[in-house]
Amino acid sequence: MTVSRCQVVCAAILVTGSLWAQSAGTPGYDINYIGPRMADPILQHSKEMYVLYGCSYCHGLYLESRGEATDLMHSRLVGRDENANLIGPLLRAGIPQTAKLSPMPQFSDLSDQQISAIATWIHYARQQGRYKELMEGKDLSSGSAEAGKAYFERTCISCHSMPGDLTRDPGALRASILRPKFLDTPASWQIDRLRDTKTAAARERHLALLENYSADDVANLIAYLSVK
Amino acid sequence: MMTALTRRDFGKCALAGLTASAWAQPAAAVNRSFISGVQFGLQPFCYHDLAMNRENRPTLVKRLVQNGFGMVELHATWCEPRFDAPGVSAEMAREKLRNWRVTTPVDYYRNIKKEFDDAGVTIFTYWVGINETYTDAEIDATYEAAKALGAKGAVGSQGLAVSQRLVPFTAKHGIFTGLHNHDNLSDPDALSNEASFDKGLAYSPNFKATLDVRHFTAGNGDCIGFLERHHERVSSVHLGDRRRNNGRSAPFGEGDAPIIQILRLIRDNRWPIVALLEFEHGTLRTGVEEVQLMFDYCKRALA
Repeated sequence: MTVSRCQVVCAAILVTGSLWAQSAGTPGYDINYIGPRMADPILQHSKEMYVLYGCSYCHGLYLESRGEATDLMHSRLVGRDENANLIGPLLRAGIPQTAKLSPMPQFSDLSDQQISAIATWIHYARQQGRYKELMEGKDLSSGSAEAGKAYFERTCISCHSMPGDLTRDPGALRASILRPKFLDTPASWQIDRLRDTKTAAARERHLALLENYSADDVANLIAYLSVK
Repeated sequence: MMTALTRRDFGKCALAGLTASAWAQPAAAVNRSFISGVQFGLQPFCYHDLAMNRENRPTLVKRLVQNGFGMVELHATWCEPRFDAPGVSAEMAREKLRNWRVTTPVDYYRNIKKEFDDAGVTIFTYWVGINETYTDAEIDATYEAAKALGAKGAVGSQGLAVSQRLVPFTAKHGIFTGLHNHDNLSDPDALSNEASFDKGLAYSPNFKATLDVRHFTAGNGDCIGFLERHHERVSSVHLGDRRRNNGRSAPFGEGDAPIIQILRLIRDNRWPIVALLEFEHGTLRTGVEEVQLMFDYCKRALA
């Protein structure tokens, strides 16, 4: 099949138009603030809900909080939240009794889906941020193998009884502890995969760990697993 | 039925008109955002996509003109440098800022005023977050800065205790101090409801209310009643929408704040109260687009 000159010109126009739309933004969508549309439409929708209900103005689009707003990147409540079970009630009630100047408003009129979308974005942004923080964080040689062993036995051993296939390189080990490769595979909605509770549970567990590891936890795990 | 005016009434009207004119139409020409009898301005916090720092000030000026505003409440961060940086502790950054404030000559602020003047934008008030960490010298420098900017007042969300401390400064510098409310009803020091304004305004005749309509509504306050009773002590309203019972911010017309009624009250009584648009509701639109939508809503309310 040959490509005509006309087709090439049309394609060039389309590509140029798309690039222009991405850089200049489109009316009604502030690309400079919200960023380009994400490949995952569910995440994009979650991000838009987070912006649309004003969360980002105080808590930051990527959880870089400003003023007196709670730092969601390091909040213990967010770290313990599962599927908006803690974030949801808090959003609905607000925090009227507070020592802060401006109390957290209540969002009692939001639907379950809207609350869930906001929580989804908070967790996604937190996972991205914590990964970056921990990858750029502390000296990997400072961990305690003994503390790492205790952490491993407390947290990981129910699934990872034999971590022998892990790399011994501390840098690569850190990356695979924080973000195992299987997390990069999108969750499937095929009917025969919907009941795959093992993979779903592993995904949730690892993402929850990523949101809650301290730099010490990671250094200790590396010290333990590197010598094992 | 027409009511005859007494000489005293006429005097009051004339004085109110002069005051309104002095605030609302500051230059020889009519201010571009003096619309249907109401002087509008912007609290540029609304440009959520534009970091409030002095590097972005030229963009701010352009946007104000683009949105049709001739008046602004200028937050100090549009003028002051930032000293927080990697390796600089919060205490160190605070000390550097304090030192910068007390050593910066007033010409620095006069030059900023000129930037706004050249664009036909009047700085109505200077917004500063004065708190207990401010030294007397720092407060003094802040009021000097406000005056050099041409501001009629220095406004902030300071509580009652800090407000009391500002009494001699506002008297000395001859500009008003604006008391701005949030909706924190649990803190007895906070400006939040009418009773707290009663206390704060009683501290000094130079204190004015900067009534934040959004927060007052969220705190279940009665904005109309407040304006009826206190309009002579109100310098401006922060005009936006929120829902009652500590509810969320909402686009104009979707919350519980009586925006249309407030604007008509100001217009029909010729009160020299500046309507400063401010909102915190989320939007996917650009700041300029959203500000325009909210401004157009207000214009329709007065049409």
